[in-house]
Amino acid sequence: MPSQPPLPPLLTPYLSSQPESSLTLVSSILGATSNWLVLRFLHASLSASSNSNASFGLEESHNGSKKKVVLVSFLRSWEFWRAEAKRLGLDLARLAGQKQFAFVDGLSELFCAPQAETAATIAPPNAGSPARTTLPLRPQPGAVPGRGPSSVAPVPNNSYAARSQSELGIAKKLHFSGRGIGALDALERDIALVIQQQRSTMDDSDELLLIIDQPDFLLAATGPVMGIGATEMAEWLSALQQNVHATIVTLAADSPLIHNASTSGNQMAAPVESEHAAFAISLAHRARSVMQLRTLETGAARDVSGVLRISRGGGADDSLDERELLYYIQRDGGVTVFGRGES
Amino acid sequence: MSFRKRNIGLSVGVDRAAVPNAPAQPAPESNPGIRPSPDDGRPTTSTGTPSLDNLLAGHAGLPMGKTLLIEENGTTDFAGALLRYYAAEGVVQEQKVHVVGVPEQWGRSLPGLIGTAESLNDKRSDKRKDEKMKIAWRYERLGEFGAGIAGSRDAPAAASPGEQDGKQQVAFCHAFDLTKRLAHPSITNMTFTPLMPSRGSPFTAVLNRLQTAIESDSPSVVHRIVIPSLLNPTMYPPDACQPEYVLQFLHGLKAVMSAYTSRVTAMITLPLSLFPRSSGLVRWMELLSDGVIELCPFPHSSDNLATSGAATSSEEPPQGMLKTHRLPVLHERGGGSDRNVGLDWAFILSRRRFEIKPFSLPPDEGDKEAQEASAPGGMPKKSDLEF
Amino acid sequence: MAPVNLSHRRTHNLLLISKLLSLRDTASPLTLLQDSLEQPATPLIREYIRRAKASSCNSVDQLLSKVHVTLIGLETLKQPDGVDAFVSACRKSPTDIVKEVAAVYPSSASAGPSKRRLIIIDAINPLISSKRVDAGFHLPSFLGSLIAPTSPTAKADSSLVVNYHQDVPGLPQQNPYSPSPLSMLTYLATSVITLHSFSHILARKAARDRSLVAPVFGLEEEQEGVLLGRLDKLRGTNAAEGIVLELEHRRKSGRGVLEWYILPPASRFSPQQVKEVVTLLDDNVLYNPPMEPDTNADDEEPKSTFELGLTERQRREREGGRPALL
Repeated sequence: MPSQPPLPPLLTPYLSSQPESSLTLVSSILGATSNWLVLRFLHASLSASSNSNASFGLEESHNGSKKKVVLVSFLRSWEFWRAEAKRLGLDLARLAGQKQFAFVDGLSELFCAPQAETAATIAPPNAGSPARTTLPLRPQPGAVPGRGPSSVAPVPNNSYAARSQSELGIAKKLHFSGRGIGALDALERDIALVIQQQRSTMDDSDELLLIIDQPDFLLAATGPVMGIGATEMAEWLSALQQNVHATIVTLAADSPLIHNASTSGNQMAAPVESEHAAFAISLAHRARSVMQLRTLETGAARDVSGVLRISRGGGADDSLDERELLYYIQRDGGVTVFGRGES
Repeated sequence: MSFRKRNIGLSVGVDRAAVPNAPAQPAPESNPGIRPSPDDGRPTTSTGTPSLDNLLAGHAGLPMGKTLLIEENGTTDFAGALLRYYAAEGVVQEQKVHVVGVPEQWGRSLPGLIGTAESLNDKRSDKRKDEKMKIAWRYERLGEFGAGIAGSRDAPAAASPGEQDGKQQVAFCHAFDLTKRLAHPSITNMTFTPLMPSRGSPFTAVLNRLQTAIESDSPSVVHRIVIPSLLNPTMYPPDACQPEYVLQFLHGLKAVMSAYTSRVTAMITLPLSLFPRSSGLVRWMELLSDGVIELCPFPHSSDNLATSGAATSSEEPPQGMLKTHRLPVLHERGGGSDRNVGLDWAFILSRRRFEIKPFSLPPDEGDKEAQEASAPGGMPKKSDLEF
Repeated sequence: MAPVNLSHRRTHNLLLISKLLSLRDTASPLTLLQDSLEQPATPLIREYIRRAKASSCNSVDQLLSKVHVTLIGLETLKQPDGVDAFVSACRKSPTDIVKEVAAVYPSSASAGPSKRRLIIIDAINPLISSKRVDAGFHLPSFLGSLIAPTSPTAKADSSLVVNYHQDVPGLPQQNPYSPSPLSMLTYLATSVITLHSFSHILARKAARDRSLVAPVFGLEEEQEGVLLGRLDKLRGTNAAEGIVLELEHRRKSGRGVLEWYILPPASRFSPQQVKEVVTLLDDNVLYNPPMEPDTNADDEEPKSTFELGLTERQRREREGGRPALL
């Protein structure tokens, strides 16, 4: 099979530009995951400027609008994204240093903040000032310290987040605490803070792309018992969408999570199923394009990893061409995308 | 003679592909239980079952920092056997084994060590020598191919018998006997984390203990997390299967895996008859795992197949089907291209091994010759047939 | 008899849809749109807005006065073209939404006395299934307060168009004895328009004509990993574009009307077009291919492959002649 460039030509029109305030939905299933496609989105947005930066530092403005990306990942670690992006020739750590890219870590400490930290946050509610005084001592590359926090909202775990950010340099770690909409709002503030930091170094023509990797997990792991339903998640997402140019969301579209809750189903769907289905389908109604990944119906094939169907979502315009393509992922992570019948 | 030459060339090639203790090894140094993957060099550790190692997308072992979910239909406990091999391998490799949810008796039922996986293979091939003589010499390699599913990616064969004896203790994977009990000095190193009745999530305490145990240990110590029969109502409180408890736990486990990515692995078994794959909860548990393998035991053991005369005396009839739904690393990248995915696998649990091999319906009776030739395994690669 | 019936139906029902979509004579104070991923309501909502604008541009026709369009966006993030007022309702309580909707409408003094108002809710689902909305939320009174005149003196005719996503699963009812939100909506609405994709309608008809099981699309396929089945293979061929509207209308007299229409894609006509663009589904050449000119409507003789192609007279002669021979 011939190898293709990091951005497969057939996909380039779908990856390279997202209209303003558009939502792109990427759905995956157990056997056909979406990480490779997210990496291609990253590449499409970040590679051009990083290349020009590498060759001529001054050519940045020549490109016109610059693109920035904030990636929020709930199921995969920074290490994974960094290593896989490297295979595509993207140095995410360097891009983060250049304020082109920011990573928000929804995996490491989402539900279990380290014990030392929980003790610190729980014990002194009025001890915010000593914690904050330590802040300026830490080197914060490039950023205007305190700008985000003061302008957006006084986040309770602010000091902690800032600390871990300086420790890791890139990844802001999300923490889910409490329940219901309040907990979601706190997460939103944390992400919005990162977005604000990115925006602070942006020109008007620059575009900020927000990629949220599997927010559906957040819904599944909290659910109606904790006062969070599909509607709340969708509203949470819309609120985030309003901060950025365009949004890409990945979620699972496995049969048990979508079809168990269908109206034709005769059995009662579990809340985790019906909420997921409601979330996924209502997002598809909002989306401009829905990129659906699945495995071949005929079973595994030697040179086909899966099928990518690109459909217009409920919020589509006529400019989007619908397509169904096959893709193959080589062992080295390279991807070939081709039409049915081609190879 | 070409036969001899070819064999020598082969063993050299395999050794070059995956030398244990290679200097470039990124894992904790000089740890025999860790080996770089022949596929991309990432550190892997053995599951204690050679044929399961070979199923894992060319890495010839479970990559460090990954979780494997073994699901089982019905009321049999084949998955438990895999889990015991995994735990026993950890003990023998002097890794720290953390067992969640079961009492310490579980640790006393680990299978006894009988040598390295290679030594068992050798013994077995001795036994089959007579049978082998009947097979044309050009099929000689195919026998090996069948024994180790991944063929060329198989665990490196021991270079010479003498060397193997000397390195008995540094093998990557060992062989165990289910009827014996493991007696090893480091068996006392196993820790058992019981489930405490608690007000909130029953998993919080477990996760915290695992995390502190790994964090406080020296970075050179390798850990294995063993979770038998997750959510089994005889061990877990009834509300453990609430998504906000179990899914947050698995997410936390994933976080632990990513935080200490070079020194932890985990294996979980799940009873599918209680938690069917068609439910959204189980699908989320699968989505949170790096590898998902489903065991479908045949209903009446293997009676029909055994009496049909289809199986030869040396080939045990399969006891069930095995399906791979997701493989570590491979599927994280987008997956689906591995030649082990989508094939039908059968498994055979005998006293000394859990064997996974390509499933094929037994050939017609009377076609003994073809059957013996094809019994060992899947289709050979084209290169294997070329002279 | 059939052709007469059809032309009668055509005249009446085209007039009806025209009135409904152009909000003439306040034909329907509450219209419920039922869409799905296979056929979203976006084109129809755009058509509502276009007509509201087209009528206001066309100042010659005084009968069509200005229509003020308010879009309540529970899903939409930015104001679409042609909308006079956009109320982002995300994360707002129903009472706040009602207040805002009332506030964005220009006071009756500045506007003409007969100014009509069109209020569109892009998707009612989030409001119905929101956990933020307390148990006291009462859908009928919420909808009623939206179209109620802001002050007793204002003679504003408001029409409300509410879209409901049929395929988004609802939540279990808090009160198992109260009617579901959807049945409540369909009961309250004077007209209910269900949207279908034309190509799917054609595929179903083709299957029905062959007595095959009707095909299903998208979510109904229940195929793993498939959310949308619609693929515009026919795009650009001008073949099966457009959307099918299944209208159920309750007249003031209490009688019901059921009719199927086709709304052609917006690219087929100019935004200012006043002439009706909607046609009956039965009049579509793809749905009802024109009959052979010589086939009679009441010719019940089934055609067989052994048809000899005889004229009526020849056949009568042959049939009539046979007994005489025997």
